[in-house]
Parts: sequence; C-alpha cells; structure tokens
Amino acid sequence: MGRAIVITSGKGGVGKTTTTANLGAALAALGYSVVLVDADIGLRNLDVVMGLENRIVYHVVDAIRGKCSVQKALIKDRRMENLWLLPASQTDDKDAVTPDDMRSLIFELKNTYDFILIDCPAGIEQGFKNAIAGADEAVVVATPEVSSIRDADRVVGLLAAADVPARLVVNRISAALVKRGDMLSQADVIEILALELLGAIPLDDQVIATTNKGIPAVLENKCAAAKEFIRIAKKLAGQEVDAKESVGFFTRISRALGFSATPA
Amino acid sequence: MEAAAIELDPVDVVEVKPPALLRGTARGLEVVIDATADSDAITGAMVMWLDKAPGFFKGSDVRLRVESGPLAPGCLGRIDAIAQRFELRIVEVSAMKVAIPLGVAPGVVDEPQLAAGSAPTADAEVAAAVAEFDDVPTNSGVVPVGPITVEQLMAPHLVSEDEPTLSGAPLALSATAEASLATKSADSSATRVVVGPVRSGVILDHEGHLFIFGDVNPGAEVRATGNIVVLGRLRGTAHAGIGQELGFILALRLEAQQLRVGRKVARSGEDFHAVEPEIAFLTDDKIVVERYQGRLPRNLASSI
Repeated sequence: MGRAIVITSGKGGVGKTTTTANLGAALAALGYSVVLVDADIGLRNLDVVMGLENRIVYHVVDAIRGKCSVQKALIKDRRMENLWLLPASQTDDKDAVTPDDMRSLIFELKNTYDFILIDCPAGIEQGFKNAIAGADEAVVVATPEVSSIRDADRVVGLLAAADVPARLVVNRISAALVKRGDMLSQADVIEILALELLGAIPLDDQVIATTNKGIPAVLENKCAAAKEFIRIAKKLAGQEVDAKESVGFFTRISRALGFSATPA
Repeated sequence: MEAAAIELDPVDVVEVKPPALLRGTARGLEVVIDATADSDAITGAMVMWLDKAPGFFKGSDVRLRVESGPLAPGCLGRIDAIAQRFELRIVEVSAMKVAIPLGVAPGVVDEPQLAAGSAPTADAEVAAAVAEFDDVPTNSGVVPVGPITVEQLMAPHLVSEDEPTLSGAPLALSATAEASLATKSADSSATRVVVGPVRSGVILDHEGHLFIFGDVNPGAEVRATGNIVVLGRLRGTAHAGIGQELGFILALRLEAQQLRVGRKVARSGEDFHAVEPEIAFLTDDKIVVERYQGRLPRNLASSI
C-alpha cells in the first residue's frame, strides 16, 4: 500500500507545485513508483511545470466521472522509469469533485504506486478540502515571510482537525538575507509553526530557469536546491540522510534545555 | 492539584473529540458525547470503554454531557439501553443550547413539549438535565438555557407530530471551523486547560479561567470570562474578564496583537519582543502591562 502525501501551504505562490514536481521526480529517481496528482482543478499547472502539457488526453475529472479508467488518465513521464502525472481539468472548477471522490481515487492509486503526491490549490476552500481528503500525511510549504507563515499556521490547524499529520518545508530561504537580518530564518519559521522540519530549500535561480523549461530541477542539474529536494525525498521515504544540521541555533539550544519543538 | 495557584478541577484538555468519552470528574463518572458523530459510533465507543472493565463501573451514577449539537433521534434510548446493560444509572443529561435562530416562531420555543408518555425510552432515572451557569454576560452567541429536558435533547422524533417541536433550535455550540477546539465547558466555574499551539483562525471561548500550555499564534483569539494564563508566547488576541470588572492576562511572553480586559482594549506597539513574563490587568480604567514578579498585583487575587 502506497502513501498519499498532500503538498499544501494556504498561501499561493510559495512553491507548492515546484515542490511537488521536484519531490516526485526525486522519489522516482530513488526507485519508487510515484504519481503526481494535480488537485488544482480549473487552474492546472503541474503539467506545465512537468513539461507534459501537450500530452494530456484525459484528466482527473474524467477519471472520477468514469469517462475513462484512472490508468488511462495517467501520463507517463518519459524521462523517468516510474513517474506518472494525473493532470487536473482546466474547464471545470473545484466543485466538480467531492472529498469522497478524491478519497476513492487516491485509495485506488495507493494500491498500485508507492507515493501519491497531491498538489493542493491555494486557499482553504473546497479545493483544499478535496486535496487533503485522501491524504495520509501533509507537507506544508512556507516561505520565510510573515504572510506565508500566518497562512501555513491556519492550514496546519485545519490539517490537525482533519487528522492529517504535517511536516514542514521552508522554501526560498536566502542565507545572505538571513545573515543580514532581512529575512526570517528557518528557526523563526519553526518556532511559530512548531512542526518537524523536513528541509529548507535555498533561493536558487536554477529552480526558476528549469521550472520555466518544464523540467524539474532535480533532473536537470545538481544545484543546491536540487540537492535539498533529493534530501527531503529521502527523508520522506524514510531513508538515512547525511547528518547535515538543518535546525537553527535556538532550536538546538531549546532542545538541549528540554523544550523540544514537538509537532502539534 | 491542591498546590496549584489556580484551581484546576475539573479540567478540560482539548484534543480530537471521540464520539463518546468516559471520564472521572469531581462529581463522578461523566460521559461526554459528541453529537456530531452518528449513533453507532457513540454507542460503539461507549460499549468499547465499558467492556474494558465491565465490573468496575457497575452501579455507578453517570452524567451525560452532550456537545456540539442535538443527539440524533433514538440515540439517547440506545445509550439508556447500554446503561442498563452495564448497570449504570444516568442521573443527569446536560447540554448547551444556542440562541434560537431567527425565523423560529417564539411560541414554538416557549413551549417545549414535555407531554408524559411521549418519551417511551425516557426512564424516570433519566432526570431532567440542567447545565449550571452563572449569570455572566458573554459576548458570544451562546445563550445558556436550562433546564433542558430529555425530551428536548431527543427532539423532534419523540414528540407527537401535531405538536410544535424544538427542531429549529439545535443544541450546537460554536461556529468556528475547528469545532473540536471551540467547545465550551458546561461548567462555568471550571478552569479549562488547553494544550497548544493555538493556531491562526482558532477561537477559544470559555466561561471561567483559561490556561494554555504553548503558544497562541497570530490570528488566533482566546477569550474567557475569567483570567487567561499562557505558558508560552501570546501573539494573537486575548480577551480576559469578559463581562467583569476584574481580570488579567498573564503570559511568559506577552506579544499580543491586541489585549482586551473587561470593556477595555489595548493594542501592541510596533514590533517588540517580550523578554520576560508579563501581566496585563485593568487599573483606573486602563489596561496596564507590567513585569510579572511572581505574585498578582493589587486586588487581582479576588478575580480568581
């Protein structure tokens, strides 16, 4: 039985889709079979980021309505052995599917594949409820900005209410800006959200460049962001990762004192 | 418990609500029922609990507390049957009722149907239920109404069809998204203990004192008719002493967006970081924040 992981954030534009694409590609590169599900119905773009846009014939709403089988709606990524995409529909809206539809769809996929990564739309409305319905766990993506953290905090509360355990990915962190005191550090983010940190992705021009080419950064090159995505993928899969200390000074101090930042 | 500065009994710890929960309280055995769960889940959970120690509960007096809405039709009858099977006596059924929604004729509400014989499963043991409340005004929409009878809890199905019912007035509690975090204690004098973090969008509303282990994050709101103690960072909004003349907010790090005590409001200055525990309270009709020196300033002790 596979694991369904929803990638969510509350706020838009923090890198959910990029994270989904890269984690998916990294997990596939590690040898797992992976399906990426675009739950952003009506505003699909995971297919664009994956460079698979022109191969869409059927989409998730077709599969749910029984217009085609789920297998038929999956698009195989030719670059990788075991990576598939279930694209969203562009003509429907979020009300086209229900949480129950999603639950049974994800359950069906879990029977065949190791990882189902669900790209959640921004917001906390119907689209969010659909996206988290079938998920076993969540990855909350937050950028080191107060608005993103505020929304992430709200989402973590909603996930807890829905019984979905969440872990954190801090995206677009700039060591130089943090050092100058112009950016919140990952320790600041963790302090508010009180979640287990999966990883912190550095702000990296390469990610923007590869994303626009429709190639996940982890396939294209070995930039710092790509390495961190691979590290997170290993962590998600429960593999040993190198002992790079990814927690901040204050977290370590407070851990030493016994006030560990336990997940909610 | 005796050693604690604040009376911590009975204690509510917030967590994901099971359909039915058995617990010991100062007043005896209590079954807390989440009315949003279906009857099968509620009775299933009760039997599961009772089956663990069938002899232990035998002959006990039990209080039922219904939370988050009216019981489904027939549910109370099934609970009563379980009680009889395990030889428990249901001595009280309590619930809270929201204000009557607009559009329900007042006459309908003023005459709850108590006709004898209309409630076949209502054992004489199942006494009329009363949730006790002080006449503390609150600014929430929840209006305590008591006594609430078994018939009302079971409305509308047990009331004969030609009589008006209370179906328009659900016994629902709070209106926030995280209903599990937003329940109100039925005991107005209780101190409620919450394990945080209290996250953005959550409103905790409590009659009595509120005690929070962990942070109150920006965008969250904690409100109490009594005092509020936050063993963590208070970065959201806090309102203590609702409807009172006295009250305080004590936090290890008081960095609230807004503080309200009684009828007064104070907002935080720009971007500050608290470095020590502080207490906010009313004096001369103003909210004053000062360093907490290990004891309550002035006459605040009388607010506990």
